[in-house]
Amino acid sequence: MTPQLDLRNVTKRFGGVAAVDGVTFSIAKGEILGVIGPNGAGKTTLLNCISGVYRLDGGDIRWHGVSIAGLAPYRVARLGVGRTFQIVKPFGSMTVRENVAVGALFGSDSERPPLRAAFDRADSVLELVGLRMKADLPVSALTIPDRKRLEVARAVATRPKLLLLDEVMAGLNNVEIDDALEMVRAVHETGVTVVLIEHVMRVIVGVCERVIVLDLGRTLADGQPDVVLRDERVIQAYLGERYARRLRGG
Amino acid sequence: MTTSQRWQRILIVLGCAVIAYAVLAPLTSLDGAQALNLPLLTDKLWFRLATITAMFVVMATAWNIIGGLTGYAAFGNVAFFGIGAYTTGMLIAKAKWPFLLALPLAPVAAAIFAVLVGLPLLRLRGHYFAVASLGVGVAVGELVQNLDYRGEPIFGGASGLFMPIFAVPNRDLYFFYLMLGAAGVSIAVTWAVIRSRFGYGLIAIRENEEAAAVIGVNTTAYKVAAFALAAALTGLAGGIFAQWNVFIDQENSFPIAYNVEMILMALLGGTGTVFGPAAGAVVLQLLIQFLSGSLPITLDLPFVPEDAMPVLAQVVLGVLLALVVIFAPRGVIDFFGGRSRLTIAYLRRSLRETSI
Amino acid sequence: MADLVQLVTIGLLAGGIYAAVGVGFSLVWGVLNIVNLAHGALVIVGAYLTWQIFTASGLDPFLTLPIDAVALFAFGYVVQRGVINRIIRAPLLFTFLLTFGLNLIAVNVLLLIFKSDFRSVTTVYSGAGLDLGGIVVPYIRLAALGIALLVAAALALLLNRTRVGLAIQAVGSDRDAAQLVGIDLRHAYAVTYGLGAACAGVAGGLIAMIQAITPTAGEPYTLQAFVVVILGGLGRVSATVVGGLVFGLVEAFAQSIPGSGSVFANAIAFGVMVLVLVTRPQGLLGRLR
Repeated sequence: MTPQLDLRNVTKRFGGVAAVDGVTFSIAKGEILGVIGPNGAGKTTLLNCISGVYRLDGGDIRWHGVSIAGLAPYRVARLGVGRTFQIVKPFGSMTVRENVAVGALFGSDSERPPLRAAFDRADSVLELVGLRMKADLPVSALTIPDRKRLEVARAVATRPKLLLLDEVMAGLNNVEIDDALEMVRAVHETGVTVVLIEHVMRVIVGVCERVIVLDLGRTLADGQPDVVLRDERVIQAYLGERYARRLRGG
Repeated sequence: MTTSQRWQRILIVLGCAVIAYAVLAPLTSLDGAQALNLPLLTDKLWFRLATITAMFVVMATAWNIIGGLTGYAAFGNVAFFGIGAYTTGMLIAKAKWPFLLALPLAPVAAAIFAVLVGLPLLRLRGHYFAVASLGVGVAVGELVQNLDYRGEPIFGGASGLFMPIFAVPNRDLYFFYLMLGAAGVSIAVTWAVIRSRFGYGLIAIRENEEAAAVIGVNTTAYKVAAFALAAALTGLAGGIFAQWNVFIDQENSFPIAYNVEMILMALLGGTGTVFGPAAGAVVLQLLIQFLSGSLPITLDLPFVPEDAMPVLAQVVLGVLLALVVIFAPRGVIDFFGGRSRLTIAYLRRSLRETSI
Repeated sequence: MADLVQLVTIGLLAGGIYAAVGVGFSLVWGVLNIVNLAHGALVIVGAYLTWQIFTASGLDPFLTLPIDAVALFAFGYVVQRGVINRIIRAPLLFTFLLTFGLNLIAVNVLLLIFKSDFRSVTTVYSGAGLDLGGIVVPYIRLAALGIALLVAAALALLLNRTRVGLAIQAVGSDRDAAQLVGIDLRHAYAVTYGLGAACAGVAGGLIAMIQAITPTAGEPYTLQAFVVVILGGLGRVSATVVGGLVFGLVEAFAQSIPGSGSVFANAIAFGVMVLVLVTRPQGLLGRLR
């Protein structure tokens, strides 16, 4: 069964440094996958490679078996890969609803709704992420957690088959994280494959079926959250040699 | 009714009055109207100024599509005006085409040029794009004036290009309505774009190009399309100008000042709106004409000799440009649109946001 | 072969002027992120200042150059501090339009004062030059090249070895961080623009000795300054000097092609610029911005 997204030996260099170095894994349709790793591990770079923002220096990325390496970002989006940005990029002069409607107007090739239908779809997506009440507000009136929701809403409005979320939980407090987790689950339940790049372990453990750990551009581990998080190499990568040894009891 | 709503009403009424006047007043110059003893509201000067004003309405509205909606502030759109003018001019003067057949080719030529130049240019951002487009505007004018083939200037050279006068009754009225029609088309096109998928895509590009790309907007195609559309409309104005003026050369078809004037007009009236650039064009053009002494009402400054007036006009224009840019970057329409009140506080806030 | 050497000589001599015009422009762009469309006007103001002093007092034009520098520095300082600083945080379009407006004002005020007649600075040595085996090297142009390089060197020294210079570089790198270490931003910006204007003024003085001037004669220099900076690369004075010299050479060779001529100056400049932007946007020596 062809995986939905297949990364083979993906490599991306900046100057002499390989930010992503031979990363290989596959994602099956409908999975909810976490990607973690210490800062500088290459998580966002990997995401940028998948969504077409960066060109690969090596390896290949396949979508339902067809290579998408080298495609322009808009083409990748049209295939059904949606993404958010770590530092949100809203369309500042538009209202919340308009931001999401633009997502619905473009996006995946499966439908191209006319204006009215796009706005209707925007409303239902806003309902899904919990921004319905704020639909007519300008973006500038939103709080940070709400802007992150907006970012997700716009991506969801593009009718993605795979959604890449880049540190959506960053900067949120516990209550906000719970709300955001609910939103992620709701999106996943509509049948979208979700990939979460995260630092917040609670999120990973709470919602991911599978976790991939990156360190220095390479995959360190790939498996169920509770197994991976106990993996010595993972602990070492995050916390350093000394602390890992201490945990080991040595 | 709030103050801003009241102002909006006033503005709409004023706008309609101006449009009605512009459309109907010329009719008084027709023989039929004169026979009915209607007062003559227009004369040769009126038509000249009105046609030029309509021309700027086209250019400012067209610029708004690439500059205001898409956020790519092109500084060389006069190149398209000149290309339109010379396309029509050459077809009429050299190939002996009739005017009405030559005119449609003006926007086509301008659009083709825009696509060719836009593909490399629109990959540049900010300053680079602005000055590169300025360079286009200057270079095209120079090339058109100076290109020779076997010692003979191709496009008429420094002595310019002459066309036969377009024989039509009430020629002034005819060309005014033609230019007015072009202005109407420009505004209608902008109106259609703003509420279309294309328009939303352009605004998305302006607000955040990277985000637009990842939600599926083909940013390159959209930018080039906007550029070509702006070029086509500007070229149309140029084509009409060529036959109306009967004579074209580098100076009247590629004037660098036009680049900034059309931007200032759009800025003054409010970029990104449908009627803003048109309003700005009318207001600014009246001001420029007034300062140049072309209007029946002139300004007689005691210490300034008459021949220095056009130069002084340019100084005033420069000062106006500086003032608008410093104090009211979002345009007068922002105020009338109810989004802000033109108070000292607004001006101060505007200033605080941009200074150090 | 002699033709080639003459062409190269012409190119380098012209390039010297371009470099002089370019360094001030590059400084303002690199540090303040302003593409100063009034740069040509500053150049021509310097030219007129030299002409005026020379005509009124007979002072050797080379000696007017320091006066140009000081006067233009003061002028530039005031303009930046009083006017341009007010919109420096606005989007690029606005600084662009503002400097265009300032250009409009400056050129037209000059027109009001001096009319559009051509003026020139002619001294006893104006026509003289070295004759190196058939290659003519006009003294004034040679001196201009030397002075241009001197100005560039002085600017580089100032930027790298003095407190003021380091402050300017800091402000150019990171505006907010510079404020945090106690640099007075408004003053630093004004000094930077003043320095840019001073360099433009000296370049203008040199130009007055080489060509006849009229208030609109500064316009082409703005576009050429832009091309020189793009060609050489933003970031270092030396990059702009190289850009200026190279552009001088390119122009000399392009104009030697039969059928073309100085009428195509702007078209050539533009062509070079587009070529560089499309193939190597960081220029010959610069870093990518």
